[in-house]
Amino acid sequence: FNTSKGDLRKFVGCAVREFTFLAKKPGCKGLRITTDACWGRCETWEKPILDPPYIEAHHQVCTYNETKQVTIKLPSCAPGVDPFYTYPMAIRCDCGACSTATTECETV
Amino acid sequence: QEARVPGCYLHPINVTVRSERQGPCRGSHVAQACVGYCESSAFPSRHSVRAASGFQHNITSVSRCCTISRLQKVKVELQCPGGRQEQLEIFTARACQCDMCRLSRY
Repeated sequence: FNTSKGDLRKFVGCAVREFTFLAKKPGCKGLRITTDACWGRCETWEKPILDPPYIEAHHQVCTYNETKQVTIKLPSCAPGVDPFYTYPMAIRCDCGACSTATTECETV
Repeated sequence: QEARVPGCYLHPINVTVRSERQGPCRGSHVAQACVGYCESSAFPSRHSVRAASGFQHNITSVSRCCTISRLQKVKVELQCPGGRQEQLEIFTARACQCDMCRLSRY
C-alpha cells in the first residue's frame, strides 16, 4: 500500500486506498497494476460473559463494499493462453463481515 | 467518551449478576473488556489463491481484531434476601492486543 497520503498512523475507519500488485498467471508475463483497494482500522471488541464460551466477540474487517471488475490484457502470453486478467477495483470500502463466499479471509 | 485512536485497550463495563441458587441474589461489578481499532485490509487475490478457490476468492482480506489476551477470574459478592451473601466468580480482561479475528463471528 502507498503510505504517502495523510497520517495513516492515526487513521481510524475504513477507506479506499491505492494498492499496487503484480497481475500474473501461468503462461503470461506479469504486469504491475495500481488500483484502488481497502485499508483501515475498524472498531472491534471482546467482552467477558457469564456463560460459555465466556468471551463474546464483535470482529469486523475493512473490506470491499462496492466493486468494479477491471479486465486487462497480460503481455507475452504463450499460444493458447487466455491473455485477459480480471480483478476487482474498490469503489467503496466499509467495516463489515469477511464474506467467505467471495473472499480469502486471512487473520494473523 | 473514548477517543477513536488506533490500538486495543481495556474498557470498563458494568456487569449485573443474578443467581437463583439460594433464592434471588444480585450483585454488580465493573469488569474490563477490550475495545479498539486494529488494522485490516482487502486487495485483489494472487493467482494461486484464485485458482485454489475455484476462482471464487478474488479478494483477500488480511485482518487483526481487538482481543482479550489475558483473562482473570474475580469474585463478586451477591446480596441475597435476609442479608445473606453469596460469592460468584466472573471473568475480567487483564490485557488486550490486536490479534486473530474470530472467523466464527463473520
